[in-house]
Amino acid sequence: MSAVGMSASVEQATETAASTRAGRDRFARWAGPILGLVLPVGLAAGWEIAVHAGLSDGRLVPPPSRVFAQFAELAQTGELYRHVVATLLRVVFGFAFGTLAGTLLGAVAGYSSLIRRLVDPTLQGLRAVPSIAWIPLFILWLGIFETSKVALIAVGVFFPVYLGVMAAIMSVDRKVVEVGRVFRLSGPAMVRRILLPAVFPAYVISLRAGLGLGWMFVIAAEFMGASEGLGYLLIDGQQLGKPAEIVAAIVAFAVLGKLTDTLVASAAAPFLRWEDAFASRHGEA
Amino acid sequence: MLTLVNIGKTYPNGVRALGGVSMNVAPGEVVAVVGGSGSGKSTMLRVVSGLDRPTFGRVMLDGAEITAPHEKIGIVFQEPRLLPWLSVADNVGFGLADRPKLEREQRVASQVDRVGLADKAKVWPRELSGGQAQRVAIARALVTRPEVLLLDEPFSALDAFTRVDLQDHLLDLWTDLKPTLVVVTHDVDEAIVLADRVVVLRPRPGRIQEEIVTDLPRPRDRQSAAFDFAKRRVLAALDRSLERQVTADAPETKTSAGAALWW
Repeated sequence: MSAVGMSASVEQATETAASTRAGRDRFARWAGPILGLVLPVGLAAGWEIAVHAGLSDGRLVPPPSRVFAQFAELAQTGELYRHVVATLLRVVFGFAFGTLAGTLLGAVAGYSSLIRRLVDPTLQGLRAVPSIAWIPLFILWLGIFETSKVALIAVGVFFPVYLGVMAAIMSVDRKVVEVGRVFRLSGPAMVRRILLPAVFPAYVISLRAGLGLGWMFVIAAEFMGASEGLGYLLIDGQQLGKPAEIVAAIVAFAVLGKLTDTLVASAAAPFLRWEDAFASRHGEA
Repeated sequence: MLTLVNIGKTYPNGVRALGGVSMNVAPGEVVAVVGGSGSGKSTMLRVVSGLDRPTFGRVMLDGAEITAPHEKIGIVFQEPRLLPWLSVADNVGFGLADRPKLEREQRVASQVDRVGLADKAKVWPRELSGGQAQRVAIARALVTRPEVLLLDEPFSALDAFTRVDLQDHLLDLWTDLKPTLVVVTHDVDEAIVLADRVVVLRPRPGRIQEEIVTDLPRPRDRQSAAFDFAKRRVLAALDRSLERQVTADAPETKTSAGAALWW
C-alpha cells in the first residue's frame, strides 16, 4: 500500500514539474507555495524511500507511511478525536481566560500611568518566572485535573496579550487622539472611534502570539499528568516505545496550531482591510 | 468676531512660547501668521483652537470664551491626520456622527465632490497622495461648517506645485461660506496669496511684531509688482522681528536673505 502511495506521489511530483514548465504564469502564481513544500516533502519522500530500500528499519524515526497508518488507526478507534477534543478544550478555555485578563490589565495599564507603575513591575517580575515553575504550585492549589491545566495555559496566554495591549495603547498616535478632541468626542466615543481601531492591528498580533504560547503550554500542562489529550499521547508513545504515535501527535499539534491561528487571523481580517489595501498596493509596485 | 485678549503660554518646562498676543479677526477675514521658530505661532493656533489652555489671557468667539475645542472652530494640521481605518468619505464625515444618516451622507458627498475627490470617496487614506490627503483633511474640517478655520502650516509638507494648487483650492473653498481663516505659515508667498492681513510674530516669547495689510484684489497674481511689494514688506518685518540689520538701499539682498530663512 505504501509503495503504491509512494509511486503515486512521485507521479504527482513529475506532473507538477511538467505543468510548471508548461505555463510561466501558473508557475509564477504557485511558485511560492511549491517552493515552500520542496524541503519537507523532499525529506519525507527521501526518508520513505530510504526505509523501503532497507537503508534503515525506521524503528526510531518512522517513515511518513507508518505515521499516516498510526493516524488512521487512531482516527478509526475514535482515540484521535477524544485526545484532540480534550486538548482543544483546554487551549480554548485557557486562551479565553488569559486573553480576558491580559486585555483588561493591559488596557488599564496602558491607559493610566498610575496603574502601570503600580502593577507593571510585579507582572514583569512574574513574567520572568519560567512557566513550568508554576506547575507544582498550581497542582497544590487547583488539583491535578482540568483547573490547574487551564490556569497554566491562561498564564502563558496572559503575558503576550497584556504586553501587546499595553504597548499598543501607549503607542497610539497623540496626533490622532487630538483629532478626536477637535471633534469633541466623549470618553467612550474616543475609546470606540479612535483608541479601539488604532490598537486593533497590534491586538490581533498579540492574540496570535498568545495563542501560540497557549499551544506550547498545553503540552506542559498535559505532561504533568493527564489521561487524555495530545500531550498524553506524546508521553504514551514515549513510554510504550511508539515513535509513530509521537510523530502523529506532533503533526496533530502542527495542524491544530495552524488552524486556530488562521481562524483568529481570518476573524480579524474584515476589520483590517485598510491594512491589506496598503500591503497589496505595495506588493503590486 | 474672533478675539485674542492678551494670550500667553508658558509650558511646564518653563519655555515662554507666547508672551501676550492680542488681536481681532473679523468674520470672513483671512489672516496669516508668520514668524521665525520660537515665535509661538503654532502655540497660538493651538490655544485659539481650544486644544491647549493659555497660561493667561482669553480667546473669545462671538462673546463666548473658548476653553475647549468648539464646534464653530475647525482646524487643519500640518499633517492630514486622517484615520487610516476609515474610508475617505468616513474620514470627511467623522465630525457629523451625531447627524441623521441621510444628511450626513449628502453633506459628505457634496464636500468630497467640492474638494475634487469624488472618485476617491471609497478608498483608504493610505492610497492617497499627500496633496489629496490634505484635501480630505480640509474637507473634514469644513463639512461641519465652522465659523473659524485654523490652519497650522497646512501645505508645508507638500511639493511646490501641489502647494500652489492647494492654496488656490483653499481660497476657492473659502468663497462658499466665507469662514474666518487663520493660517500659520512660514511661507511668505503663501501668506500674501491667502491673507487680507499678515501678522508677523517676534520670537522668545512670541509677541506681535507688526501687522501688514495685504488686501490685494483677488485672485492674486504671484508675479505682479504689488505682490512683490507686499512680500518685501513682510520680509522686512520678519527681519526686524529677528532684530537683524536691514540695509534700506539693498532691497534685493534683503529679499534673498529673507528668502533663505523662510523657505
